[in-house]
Amino acid sequence: MQKSILWVFIALLAVSCNQTTKKEGLTTEADKTEKIVTATINELLASPADYQDKEVAISGMVSHVCRHGGQKCFLVAEDGETQIRIVPGGEIDEFKVEMEGSTIAFKGIFRVLNAEQTEEHVEDHESKEHHDVEQSHSTAEKAEYFVEAIEFKDITP
Amino acid sequence: MNWRKLNRWIHRELGFLFFGMTIIYGISGIALNHHAARHWDPGLITRSTTLQYPGTLSKSDVNRSSIEKILEITGEKENYKQYYFPSQDHIIIYLKGGHITVNMQTGSMQLTKVRNRPVFNELNYLHYNKPKKLWTWFSDLYAFGLILIAISGLFLIKGKKGIGGRGGILTIVGILIPLVFLIIYLWL
Repeated sequence: MQKSILWVFIALLAVSCNQTTKKEGLTTEADKTEKIVTATINELLASPADYQDKEVAISGMVSHVCRHGGQKCFLVAEDGETQIRIVPGGEIDEFKVEMEGSTIAFKGIFRVLNAEQTEEHVEDHESKEHHDVEQSHSTAEKAEYFVEAIEFKDITP
Repeated sequence: MNWRKLNRWIHRELGFLFFGMTIIYGISGIALNHHAARHWDPGLITRSTTLQYPGTLSKSDVNRSSIEKILEITGEKENYKQYYFPSQDHIIIYLKGGHITVNMQTGSMQLTKVRNRPVFNELNYLHYNKPKKLWTWFSDLYAFGLILIAISGLFLIKGKKGIGGRGGILTIVGILIPLVFLIIYLWL
């Protein structure tokens, strides 16, 4: 009995270690081939079609992190008003509330929803009664554009 | 070995082995239920205090010294990160572990402190499978074990109180309740 339990744990440990090695290999390969477009948030929003589905690098101050699972955060543009929605992608599970007020550099895919998807997104958002009052990030929250983050780094000065 | 004896052995041994896991998933399950219903945040504790700035401010008045004054009043000088104007009348000053929202027209300041909720934060970390890797396997093993505990539990007792009597009725009721919810909320 004791021997069997020990073997089960050894097998699980071996599978887990193997997965970690594979993942590291993939990341290295992806790093070699990617092409990133560095842009400001306002540049992205001025001509979204030019950046749609491309890998972009943007940075700014995080104004808000969604409290319901950290599944989105909002980045303030250089003008101090415009904001963009960032959602976790790749290996990122969630955004931490500690990111609020920090300057973060994101690498990710710029996505633009079509009219139907946008309508669905707004309906879904409104059905959840997310905020009682209008927030500074409300426009970005309902917007058709967002960045699906793959990596991020705190670059707060 | 008699099948009933084996059944009892499975139920008892798995019950002991997965006691801790059942408590973890049970408590965090209640927390996540209420999180989903937006009653409260199981992962974070948020505390708000209202304070008053002496006088009012306008966007052009806001500078290093006014920000320092606000930080001094709120006692958050050491925690300052950055500030920005979410609207014409408000400033948000971000802190390590919270923020201050200042209504510039009235001088009213709301200091909001946010910190991780002890115990629940850790339990949710496991429930959401944040560790991944080996935890995925162990929690899968637990889920499979739970199924075995449930099935073996049906056949623990013979007679009137067993699956052929009252136990069977309770089992059917327990299956019907989620079905009724599915019929009302999902399928109709």
